[in-house]
Amino acid sequence: MISTNNLTKKFGDFTAVDQLSLSVNEGEILCLLGANGAGKSTTINMLLNFINPSSGSATINNLDVVKNPIKTKEYITYIPENLMLYPSLSAIENLDYFSGIAGKQLPSADLEGFLRDAGLQEEAFHKRISTFSKGMRQKVGIAIALAKDTKVLLLDEPTSGLDPKASNEFGNLLQKLRKKGVAILMATHDLFRAKEVATHIGIMKDGQLRQQFIAEDISLAQLEKAYLETMEYKEVLS
Amino acid sequence: MLRYNFIYELRLLLRSRWIQLLSLLLLLLFGFSVFNGMGKVEKRRDDIAAARKEVSASDQAMLKLLDSVERGLDVSVSPWTIPSSPMAVANYYPRVAAMDPQPMAFASTGQADLFTHYVKPTASGDDFSLNFTEMTSPVQLLFGSFDLAFVIVYLLPLLIIAFTYNILSSEKESGSLRLLASQPISIQKWVFHKLILRFFWLSLLVTVSLLLVFFIMGIDPLHWNAVFSLLGLTLCYMLFWFALAFLVNLLSNSSAKNAVSLLGLWVVFVLLVPSVLNQLGNTLYPMPPRTLMINEMRLQKAEATKQQDKILDNYLRDHPEYAINDSTQSRSFWHGYMASQKLVKEALAPIVGSYEEQLSKQQDWTRKMQWISPAIIAQESLNSLAGTSTQDYEAYRKQVVQFAELWRAHFMPFLFNNTLFTTNDHDALPQFQYQPLQQNGGIQAMSILLLMALVLLGLGFAMQSAPRQKGILSDQ
Amino acid sequence: MIAKTCIKELKELMRDGRIRTAFLIVIVLLGVAIWISARQYQSINEQYQSAKTTERSVWDDQGEKNPHSAAHYGTYAFKPKYPLSLLDQGVDKYAGSSIFLEAHKRNEAQFSVAADQTGLARFGDLTPDFILLFIIPLFIILLGYNSFTKEREMGTLTLLKSLGVPSWKWALGKWLALFFPILAITALLFLLAGILLSNLQDFGVFNWTSLLMMFVVYIGYYVAFINIVLFISLKVKKSGIALVLSLSIWILACLVAPKAASNIAEAKHPYPTRQEFAANVLKDKQEGLDGHDPWSKESKLLEQKVLAEYGVDSIHKLPFNFDGYRMQKGEEHEAEVYLKHYNYLKEQFSEQSKVYKGLAMISPYLPTRFMSMAIAQTDYNTHWDFADAAETYRIATQKFLNDNFAQNSTYGEWSYRADADFWKQLPVFEYDPPELKTILAQNSSNLWILAIWLAISFSLLLLTTKNI
Repeated sequence: MISTNNLTKKFGDFTAVDQLSLSVNEGEILCLLGANGAGKSTTINMLLNFINPSSGSATINNLDVVKNPIKTKEYITYIPENLMLYPSLSAIENLDYFSGIAGKQLPSADLEGFLRDAGLQEEAFHKRISTFSKGMRQKVGIAIALAKDTKVLLLDEPTSGLDPKASNEFGNLLQKLRKKGVAILMATHDLFRAKEVATHIGIMKDGQLRQQFIAEDISLAQLEKAYLETMEYKEVLS
Repeated sequence: MLRYNFIYELRLLLRSRWIQLLSLLLLLLFGFSVFNGMGKVEKRRDDIAAARKEVSASDQAMLKLLDSVERGLDVSVSPWTIPSSPMAVANYYPRVAAMDPQPMAFASTGQADLFTHYVKPTASGDDFSLNFTEMTSPVQLLFGSFDLAFVIVYLLPLLIIAFTYNILSSEKESGSLRLLASQPISIQKWVFHKLILRFFWLSLLVTVSLLLVFFIMGIDPLHWNAVFSLLGLTLCYMLFWFALAFLVNLLSNSSAKNAVSLLGLWVVFVLLVPSVLNQLGNTLYPMPPRTLMINEMRLQKAEATKQQDKILDNYLRDHPEYAINDSTQSRSFWHGYMASQKLVKEALAPIVGSYEEQLSKQQDWTRKMQWISPAIIAQESLNSLAGTSTQDYEAYRKQVVQFAELWRAHFMPFLFNNTLFTTNDHDALPQFQYQPLQQNGGIQAMSILLLMALVLLGLGFAMQSAPRQKGILSDQ
Repeated sequence: MIAKTCIKELKELMRDGRIRTAFLIVIVLLGVAIWISARQYQSINEQYQSAKTTERSVWDDQGEKNPHSAAHYGTYAFKPKYPLSLLDQGVDKYAGSSIFLEAHKRNEAQFSVAADQTGLARFGDLTPDFILLFIIPLFIILLGYNSFTKEREMGTLTLLKSLGVPSWKWALGKWLALFFPILAITALLFLLAGILLSNLQDFGVFNWTSLLMMFVVYIGYYVAFINIVLFISLKVKKSGIALVLSLSIWILACLVAPKAASNIAEAKHPYPTRQEFAANVLKDKQEGLDGHDPWSKESKLLEQKVLAEYGVDSIHKLPFNFDGYRMQKGEEHEAEVYLKHYNYLKEQFSEQSKVYKGLAMISPYLPTRFMSMAIAQTDYNTHWDFADAAETYRIATQKFLNDNFAQNSTYGEWSYRADADFWKQLPVFEYDPPELKTILAQNSSNLWILAIWLAISFSLLLLTTKNI
């Protein structure tokens, strides 16, 4: 569903993403680990066609994102690190608006259902977003994914700044979506959460995918060790 | 997408109190400016009515005097003002040559504060002694008037700028842009929708509040054609500024930058371009100094006075009918005066013509160059809609000069045939009726403004690649 | 600390491309405006000189003529242009520059430039006063709107507060950083104008003190604006809002207030129309002596009075031509009538001025505008002063002519002709505009209003600085 082929992005002399090839199939969650500047967010930005790749290609549902910038976005839901919605609109209004401009016209009963499925408390449905916490806003984001009947979910540091309980709830939501056949790509620093939710884990460094694991095959301790080794490798090199 | 943008744009605008604020502001501005304009028009009407009343009162007095004279009674007025003498009527009983206000005169002061709206041309004196400028404090002329045209041309664009400068950039600054851009929509289209919707709401507010103000102020009778022209012009002018905001919104990604750029454009279009064009017009087609005209006029008059007898002889030779019809052949001051006046006028015609020629050249220049600034287009068309443009006053001046000519000519047979003015001649006195200029309803101005707006919008869509736009998404 | 903040702010401003561009634009506009004005100033002065000499020779060469014919023939007074009009054109464009001086009638100045221009002229001119009054305040807003808000937005405010530096020192640094560039532009402009003017030929009444005074007034105006802009930047949380608010103040002060003031002033204290004015004058004139009408009641009264005074029984026995004497008396009566009606106009204007001063409370633009015009001698008061001087000269001229008529002819001798050389004896019309001292005394209220603006804005700023 998500796939990149030798995807490369250069900013002047600096190579942010270096010949990255990865793929995420339906019902899979790939967690990309890596330090700041490893190229995780740049990869997501290229998948969204927010920036053009310098070379290589990225496809969503076998469609090239550069050639089909609008069509590919029909399949995607993106939740940035700090998901911001319209503060003067309520949760259900935000959901209605975003799914509406994405081309899904839904009755409000359905919209409420999606918010419920996303785990938002009933009494918050009609409250303005300006009163929401980050976790609550993310639930609205998930509700947008549900409403769009999304095939691809792109997440950028979704759990940073969440308390452990909220983070756990969020993990459970992702599992639900995975089971519905959504392909999820998530960039994170959070090794623990990655181990918890991912089906596949990749470690990025200097724009390259240095290591790849199947989540089931590796323990948290092993993952941490592998991560630190990959990071140190750079220190040795430089 | 349009449907959702439509619903939610209204909600957002209502919740941010933009609609409420704009309605209030528009009502206040329109109300105050229309109130001012109506006050001025009313004063103008009253002044003209008073002048007409005064003339009809003095006509009654004249008829009474004539009656007394004709019955051989003594009258107690200075001998040279007794109306049985035709020149007394020509000089002391002038008609009012008034420029009645057009129905939309309240909308734009234009040149109305500079020029007078009625004069009383007499047989003595010449066309230059008709002073067409009004007695106004020059400070008022300097500051101008808070009229509807000012609100539309100057203030409305500023409201539009405040209303639109951050449509895209605020999404970026508040963080919602990333979610928005991840939807299967084109951002250009989205910005366009937002702008068109805001244009729609502002147009609605402008229309409703204007009509409301007109209704409350009692513009009566309502001249719907003119009102629609005014509205059409205003909306086209507004669309231009929205289109400009569209372009700026797409080109730059910071609210402050947008505000400064749009404001800079406002300064350029509304303040700088008109003044530079005016200066250029004056430099290209300079008015000969009026002092020169004064000197020339004085020399001509001095010459004419010296040769008055000769001039009169020549005049009579050209008009043998006067010599035949008049049995008395008596000649007074007025005979010589009127004959030489005519000569002086002809001698000065080229100089006076040069002012009119230069002015009309400057006007042509303005008309040619006005597309550089939509503010000029809007202001000029509002002026002509209100009947207060330079051209209107020029037309009025020409008509008055023609009338003065007619007035003088009317008395020439009396004077040179040495016939007396009688009660019966009163009704035959020429009357002045101002013929307003034909109005084209500003169709041309509207089309130019629309074209400008369309070009700007097209430019916005043409920047399809819009690398900057992607730039605003990539940096975090 | 003050100097450091100031230097840091200036560096930030210098590195901002937008500000560099704006700075450049302001300088170029100023240059163009001064160049245009200087050219205009020179050509108008040349026209003035030639008109004045031509007119005088027309007068001198009238030849033999009855003095009263000469009085009707009349002469012109031309208004000169003063050096500082280079910086502020004031109302010159709207006030005529030539007054026809004739018997029996006080005329208004004719031929204003604006009446000879297209509607475009009403948008304003690219003159130094336009830049000084409108553009530089805008530039101040551009420079200073985010002076404090940016610290808030970048989070450096907390850092600065934690340093334990008195906030007023820090704020003063920012104030100075905003003040110096403005001071520099303004000083440059005035210096340029001063040098230009002192190098122009026959610069007449130009003096550096007036220029300096004008400079001080503008600096006061800018300081008031700087204070307002910084005050807003301190009070408001976001740069965008600070910008919009500052701009609203600018619109209100520079665009809306003057126009609204002009409308209110006119509605409350209107001038009569030209025709009304003429009719009123005519009515009053008819109530008194008409020099041309020996049959009127007033003429008879005057005759009896003069006969009694000289102890003779017939006007033929008077030692002078009674026609000339009566003409002069009539002239004096008419002059009085005009004085009364023009005083009414002046009264109306002084009432209007009160409206302007009242609205100056919401606009520092108004007192600055009036002060600047006054110092440049392009304001309405100077115009009045000129018109009054011309009227005094007209009255003196009429007396000069009537006296000649009365002294050198006998009653009923309308065929009397004065010598061809006689006209040259009439003194030339010379007009000296009011001195700076007089101007400042006349406009002291505007100076006070400006001072109040400064005092209030400074104290507001100071109070807010304390509570950062």
